[in-house]
Amino acid sequence: MADDKDVLRDVWFGRIPACFTLSPEETTEREAEPYYLLLPRVSYLTLVTDKVKKHFLRVMKAEDSTEMWFEYEGTPLKWHYPIGVLFDLHASNTALPWNVTVHFKNFPEHDLLHCTSNSVIEAHFMSCIKEADALKHKGQVINDMQKKDHKQLWMGLQNDKFDQFWAMNRKLMEYPTDEGGFRYIPFRMYQTMGERPFIQKLFRPVSPEGHTLTLGDLLKELFPAAICAEEHSCDLVATLPRPGTGSQTAGRNSDQAQRVEYGASIDEPKRFQVMIHGIEPLLETPIQWLSEHLSHPDNFLHISIIPAPSD
Amino acid sequence: MMAAERNTVSCYLDEKTFRLCCQLFLQHSETIQDGWSWEQIKGTDEGFMKKTLLIPVKSSILNKQHECSIQDENMETDDIQANVEDETAGVQAVCEIHAVLRYEYHVLYSFSYQIPVLYFRASTLDGRPLSLEEVWSNVHLNYRQRLQQGPWDTLTQQEHPLLGQPFFMLHPCRTEEFMKPALDLAQAENKRVNYIVTWLSVVGPVVRLDVPLSYSTEVSAPD
Repeated sequence: MADDKDVLRDVWFGRIPACFTLSPEETTEREAEPYYLLLPRVSYLTLVTDKVKKHFLRVMKAEDSTEMWFEYEGTPLKWHYPIGVLFDLHASNTALPWNVTVHFKNFPEHDLLHCTSNSVIEAHFMSCIKEADALKHKGQVINDMQKKDHKQLWMGLQNDKFDQFWAMNRKLMEYPTDEGGFRYIPFRMYQTMGERPFIQKLFRPVSPEGHTLTLGDLLKELFPAAICAEEHSCDLVATLPRPGTGSQTAGRNSDQAQRVEYGASIDEPKRFQVMIHGIEPLLETPIQWLSEHLSHPDNFLHISIIPAPSD
Repeated sequence: MMAAERNTVSCYLDEKTFRLCCQLFLQHSETIQDGWSWEQIKGTDEGFMKKTLLIPVKSSILNKQHECSIQDENMETDDIQANVEDETAGVQAVCEIHAVLRYEYHVLYSFSYQIPVLYFRASTLDGRPLSLEEVWSNVHLNYRQRLQQGPWDTLTQQEHPLLGQPFFMLHPCRTEEFMKPALDLAQAENKRVNYIVTWLSVVGPVVRLDVPLSYSTEVSAPD
């Protein structure tokens, strides 16, 4: 499985070039230069932007420096979402670098959680891991770990130490040999429209009949619009042969062919992109494999559903 | 499953039972005008229970920097009685300035943990949200120690999973620890409890939410 381990590394070391600019609303003593930084996709904004804060505080008065927060094109950025998710959701189809605006005043109390220290980030991170394990293993693996093991997971993320992190995280990716995978897949699906921040439901990686379920199966059940514009055409799939069981579709690996296999009409335009870590995985990818290899360090599979670019 | 294994009742709640328990809970709330309502998420069968309370508190709980706004509020709340529980400071209590806070409670179902979770937010009457420190200081001293020791791990700020806004949440990790004795006892007495009534009666008071006793006697378990 050498290839699969490479995927783990590629995911961990993914970076997004960003340009931080101070909001014109902030009062400065001198002009503030923008600050450029490569952001780790798998980390959190408030964990990796100490240098950004120091840079801008140099041109501001000490008393004006309350909690720093970020915004992109008018939308406050939720620091508790992994950076890569924020980028994919809000800016993946725009030119790099990612232009983020920095604020120190008027903290948007109704939109953002406060982040007063790294221990808040750690608590949030560990709480996600615990929830993921509750779904995968009824919490048994995380509860059997010692406090120092939990600390190792956090320190691995905080200090960008892949080996340290995975030495512990691999335990969270195991499952009983007689099962086809985890009990339920920890995932969250995000979209920019609508009030609801994300979709999260119980989803097993294997069907009651023993079939390995795929990303396409997940979408069909929870976000059919990502596959077909007309919901009823997705229902017709029940009568079609399952993907990979001999159905002959020209250009099998093309977007269109994939979506057709999950129920879209043959000439329907693609309305949404289904993005994980900045890529669009094939719909036929088993969801168990995605959970083991493309989850974030918090053990959740974060899926961004964004409007397809109309070029 | 062997008969012996049926001794203990599951501390977990499936979603259907959650909704049924809430329905029965809400019926009683309606009867005694306790102010709970069901909020449905548009276009889905998901929802949560909600209640808003106005709670008088000592203004010393609120941060000094907001004292000015408190003074204004007090002009409108002159008729609120001072807290005279503390007799030794009786005279002081009568003169103490009070503020009124707005607490909004939501009871949601957690699929991940298969238990209910209590979310809430608090603000002053003029809409300023309370900080975690202020909410903490508003937890009765008796509960504060217990809160720090568990069985509910901690009080943290979280994103409301259905509304996307910042709320406070009592962490659900150890609900099992205090539900188990209550459920076992009920089973031993051949009674069936309404999970929501039992659970909320335990966690609610910690964050200033009271559940009148009549819930325990009048609300049945779902069939």
